[in-house]
Amino acid sequence: MELDSGGWIPSSSRDPRRWWRLGSVAGIAAGFVLGRSRLLGDIFGPYIQIANSLPRVVLAPIFLLWFGLGIWSKVALGVTVVFFIVFFNTLKGVREVNPVLLDNARMLGATERQLVRHVLLPSALAWIFSSLEISVGMSIIAAVVGEYLGSTQGIGYLIAQAEGVFDTTGVFAGMVFLAAFVLLVAALVGRVERRLLHWRPRPAESSSV
Amino acid sequence: MPAALQFSSVSKRYDSGYEAIEGISFTMAPRRFVSIVGPSGCGKSTVLNLAAGLLTVSAGQVECFGEPLTGLNRRAAYLFQQDALLPWKSVLDNASLGLVLRGRPQDAAHDWLRRVGLEAFSARYPHELSGGMRKRVALAQCLAVQPDLLLMDEPFSALDIHTRLRMEQELLDWVSAAGTTVLFITHDLEEAIALSDEVLVLSAGPRSHLVGRYEIDLPRPRPLLDLKTEPRFAEMYRAIWHDLRGEVIRALGGDHTEGKSHG
Repeated sequence: MELDSGGWIPSSSRDPRRWWRLGSVAGIAAGFVLGRSRLLGDIFGPYIQIANSLPRVVLAPIFLLWFGLGIWSKVALGVTVVFFIVFFNTLKGVREVNPVLLDNARMLGATERQLVRHVLLPSALAWIFSSLEISVGMSIIAAVVGEYLGSTQGIGYLIAQAEGVFDTTGVFAGMVFLAAFVLLVAALVGRVERRLLHWRPRPAESSSV
Repeated sequence: MPAALQFSSVSKRYDSGYEAIEGISFTMAPRRFVSIVGPSGCGKSTVLNLAAGLLTVSAGQVECFGEPLTGLNRRAAYLFQQDALLPWKSVLDNASLGLVLRGRPQDAAHDWLRRVGLEAFSARYPHELSGGMRKRVALAQCLAVQPDLLLMDEPFSALDIHTRLRMEQELLDWVSAAGTTVLFITHDLEEAIALSDEVLVLSAGPRSHLVGRYEIDLPRPRPLLDLKTEPRFAEMYRAIWHDLRGEVIRALGGDHTEGKSHG
């Protein structure tokens, strides 16, 4: 099987970004709200745990039935993966903000909105980014699993096709391509992270002061 | 002129049922430097947090410049014992945080950074500074908003002795120049006497109360380097320590029976 013959590049390289962004934003927003409000956290926390315990592979065929063979079933699958990783990390990031930093900002006159902007969001950002690096790989895997189980194009589709005709080389080619792609995207995320979190001490010099 | 801070029979009982302080009353005139000393776990920080409005009283009343305190104390700045600088903001952004949050011009932050001697470090981040420098930035942050009342919770306890002496001297110069009223918490009696106009002694917890108040009549300005060898200083120290000693012993003894409780 030739990798460059199919029309898979547009679907596999464009789509993960889309659901990754959607899942990330939803996860950050939900994590913030439930992290700030004990009541909402107590009410919705268990439901989110339940939803998170569902195996994604089981969901894939259901999403295929609901959203069809096209891109939207893959989007839905990617969102379910990314959302929970980002959600739990944001929740942790918001809840574990040093209370002294919050008290200090309050004493200096911060309103709730200013607290979010100057303290909570930057503080949660470190947690969010550590989760994004993982979630970006997971979302691509979710997309490929979605394609593998049912689609008409994409790298998962190619792997499934290769398997169908006992084309081991084709399967491995798909896997190698996937690995390279995930590495590339993770490196991009790492680069954005370093830019946004430039205030953090580098591990080597943190002990010097 | 109304008192800068007035506690009237203030008690604080935490949700856990722990009674930190009971029936505490004192008055601070404006521009005075008052220290509270007491053994660890005596509710010193509770008193300070009540004055800041970070905690609410269970009984009694706190008044700040004649007005009963409800919610956060808007006329006070709070210098915390722990590091409270935002690690993602530069030194200048940290120093001007209070001004930015209140929508005021940021000139005062530049000014205070220069006064604390950290102008050259404006663009650095807190992790690049030493503990003493971070404390200075935190102090600049507090003083830049021109508070009427400065609340300080053992601010220098983590510093080495020389840095500490220097910062104490600078603090005295700055607050007397700015006319700020200071409520200072410490477990170090020498520090309390050297800095203050008045020292309040708290009893061991739980249900701490005031066991003594001492007017410190050492002349100002005070050269801290030589102060501790003066006979009057030693005299004051002995008198207050006599009260404090009993409480410290009680606190140490109490630890075995009551276990660990609120600081």
